[in-house]
Amino acid sequence: MEKENKKQKIDPICGMDVTDFSDSPEAIHNNKKFYFCSNFCHDRFKRNPEKFSKEPLVKISNVWKIFSPDHTKTEVLKGLNLHIWEGDFVVVIGPSGSGKSTTLNIVGLLDKPTSGHIYLKGKNISTLDDNERAKMRSKTFGFVFQQYNLIPWLTAYENATLPLIFSTKKASKKKNLEHLFDEIGLKERLDHFPSELSGGEQQRTALLRALANDPDILLGDEPTGNLDSVTGKKILDLLIDLHKVHKKTLLIVTHDMDIAELADQVITFKDGRIIRNHETHKKAYVK
Amino acid sequence: MLKNFLFLNLKSIRYRPVRSWLTIIGIVIGIMLVVVILALGNGIQNTVKSTLQMFGSNLIVVMPGKETNPLTSFFGGERFREKDLVALEKIPGVKFVALEDIATMNIEFDGEKKSTLIHSVQWTWMRELLEESEGIKLEQGYWPQDLNASEVILGNKIASSLFKNPVKVGEDIIIKGKRMKVAGILSPIGEQMSDNIIFMPQSIFQSLTGKRSVAMSADVKVLPGADINLIAKQVKFELSKQDVVRDFSVLTPEKTERIAGNVLSIIELVLVFIALISLIVGAVGIMNTMYTSVLERTKQIGIMKAIGATNDDVLSLFLLESGIIGLVGGILGIILGIGVAYLIGLYGNSAGIKGLFSFASLDYFGLFVILFLTFVIGVVSGLMPAKRASKMEPADALRYE
Repeated sequence: MEKENKKQKIDPICGMDVTDFSDSPEAIHNNKKFYFCSNFCHDRFKRNPEKFSKEPLVKISNVWKIFSPDHTKTEVLKGLNLHIWEGDFVVVIGPSGSGKSTTLNIVGLLDKPTSGHIYLKGKNISTLDDNERAKMRSKTFGFVFQQYNLIPWLTAYENATLPLIFSTKKASKKKNLEHLFDEIGLKERLDHFPSELSGGEQQRTALLRALANDPDILLGDEPTGNLDSVTGKKILDLLIDLHKVHKKTLLIVTHDMDIAELADQVITFKDGRIIRNHETHKKAYVK
Repeated sequence: MLKNFLFLNLKSIRYRPVRSWLTIIGIVIGIMLVVVILALGNGIQNTVKSTLQMFGSNLIVVMPGKETNPLTSFFGGERFREKDLVALEKIPGVKFVALEDIATMNIEFDGEKKSTLIHSVQWTWMRELLEESEGIKLEQGYWPQDLNASEVILGNKIASSLFKNPVKVGEDIIIKGKRMKVAGILSPIGEQMSDNIIFMPQSIFQSLTGKRSVAMSADVKVLPGADINLIAKQVKFELSKQDVVRDFSVLTPEKTERIAGNVLSIIELVLVFIALISLIVGAVGIMNTMYTSVLERTKQIGIMKAIGATNDDVLSLFLLESGIIGLVGGILGIILGIGVAYLIGLYGNSAGIKGLFSFASLDYFGLFVILFLTFVIGVVSGLMPAKRASKMEPADALRYE
C-alpha cells in the first residue's frame, strides 16, 4: 500500500491525486518533482515553493468512509486526498450527498474514517483515542454549523463560553473572548436564550463559541445556509475578517457560489471524490 | 470544573421542570416512607412497652386462646367457668384473682342512645389493679364500696365526648334498661379502648347479660416477692384440669412484651419491605427519566463533544445530574418524612398515644445514610444512559433530531 502511494502523483497544494492526468503542470524544487492539478495550483507553488514543499496544516490521505447502517453499504468518501494550508480560506462545494460534510466532520475529528489517515502538522491524528480526539477538538478546531447548534438552556454568553468549561487553559482566553464580543457585536444580547435570538444572532453566538478556544482551524458546515442573503452576508464578512485579520484557517462547506469566489482554494466534490475544477480555481486566482 | 458542571446541570434540570420534578417526586415518596418508618419505629416500640408496663410487674393475665396468638381468640367468645378461675386463688403467692368480662350494651343518656363496651369488675380488685399497677386514678367521684349497688365508673372519653352533653358524676345513665348512677370518672388512660369503656359491678353485669358463672379472663395478682414464673406454671397446671376452654394463655409481663415485640418486628419488616420497593420504583423512575433525557439531548451531547468535551466530561455531567435529582429527592423525602411522622405523632398525642415521635429520638446518622444512598441510587441509575451518551460519535449525535 505504501509503495503504491509513492507512485501516486499528489498535487502538494490541494492534495488532489493527479496520477491519471495527462496535462498536469510540473515543477522541480530541491531536486524533487511536483505535479499539479491546474495552473492555479502550479502558480501558487511557484510563488512560495519553500512553504509548499513541506507538510500542509491538514493532510487527508486516501480516506474512505463507508456507512453501513443496515446491510446496504453507502460509500460516502472514496479514497479522498486533500491538503489544507495554514492561513488558507478553503471552500468546499458540490451537490448534496457528495461527501462534503462528512469530510468536514472527519477533518474536525467529529467522525472516524473507515480507512485512511488524517495528519495535522504532519502528525497522524486518525489513530488518536477518544480522549485525545476531544482534547484536539478543543485545542485546534472551531465549528460553525448550519443549524447553529446552540444549547437551548444556556444564554448566548453561556453558549459562547461553553468550550472554556471543557478546555484546560481558560483564563487568558476569556479576556480574548470579551474582546471578540465587541468585535462581533452581540454585547446587548448576551443574556438572551437562543430561542430569543434571530438566526443571524444565533449564528454569531455560534461563531463566538467556535472562537472561544482560539482554534487554529475554523470549520463551517454551510454556516449561511439557514440565513437570508443579507444576514448571511454579514456572517460571511465576519468569517472573511477572521481570515484576513486573525489569520485563521477556514474550511467552509457551502452551496453559496459568492463565498466560493472569495476563497484561496475551492474544492469541488462529486460522488465522494474531489473533481478537477479549473473554472473555480481560475476565478479565485483572478481575484 | 465541578462548579461549572453543577451550573450546567442546574440549567438543564431547570429547562425541563416538569420532567425533573416528576422524577424527584418518585424518589421523594420512597424516601418519605423509609423515613416515616425509621422515625416512628422507635416511638411505636416505646409506646407499646410503656403500655404493657401499665399492667404492672406482678400481674398474670389468663385468657382463652393459644399463647402464640392470644389476640385472635380474645374475641372468639370462649369463656372460662368462674369456679376454675377462682380456684387459682388457692395457689400460694397469689394475692387475688380479678375476674373480668366484657360485653357491648346499649346505653342512654339525656335521651341519646349509644352502644359501648361494658367491663365487668369487682370494685375492690379493680381499684387496686388500676391504682397500683397501672397508676390510673379517679378524676372525679369515688370508688363504690357496695358490690351490688347500681353504680358505674366511666372511662374518660365516655364521660367527655360520647354524648352531646358531657356526663357528670352523680348523674344517671341507663344501661340496657337499668338505671345506673355515675360514681366516678377515670383519668385518661391513654389508650382508645380503656378510655371508651364503662366499668360495672360483676353481679349487675351478669344479670344484664344473663351469663352466669362464666368469665372472659382473669388478672392474677401476685404477692410482692413471689416467683411470678413459678406461679404462672402452677396457674397453667390448675387450668389444664378445667374442661371448657381447651386453649388458654397465661401471660406474664415478660411474655407479653416478647409477643408484642415479635408482632412489632414483623410489622416493621413488612413496612421496610414496602419502603424498599417504593425506593426501587423511584430508582427505576430516575433511570427512565435519565434514559429519555439522554435520548432527548443526543444532539446537545454531540455539540458538547464537538466543542471539546471528553467522554468523561459527558459521563460526569449526566451522572452528576442524576445524582442531584437523587439528592434533591432524598432531602425533600427526609423533610416530608419527618413532617409526616411529626403529624402522626401529633395525631397520636391527641388520640392518647404519647411519645410516638420526637426530634430527639431521630436517628440522624440513619438519615445521613439515606441521603447518601439516594445520591448513589441516582448516580447508579444514571450510569447506563450516561455511558451510552458519552460513547457516541459526535457526528452521529449531531445528526440526531
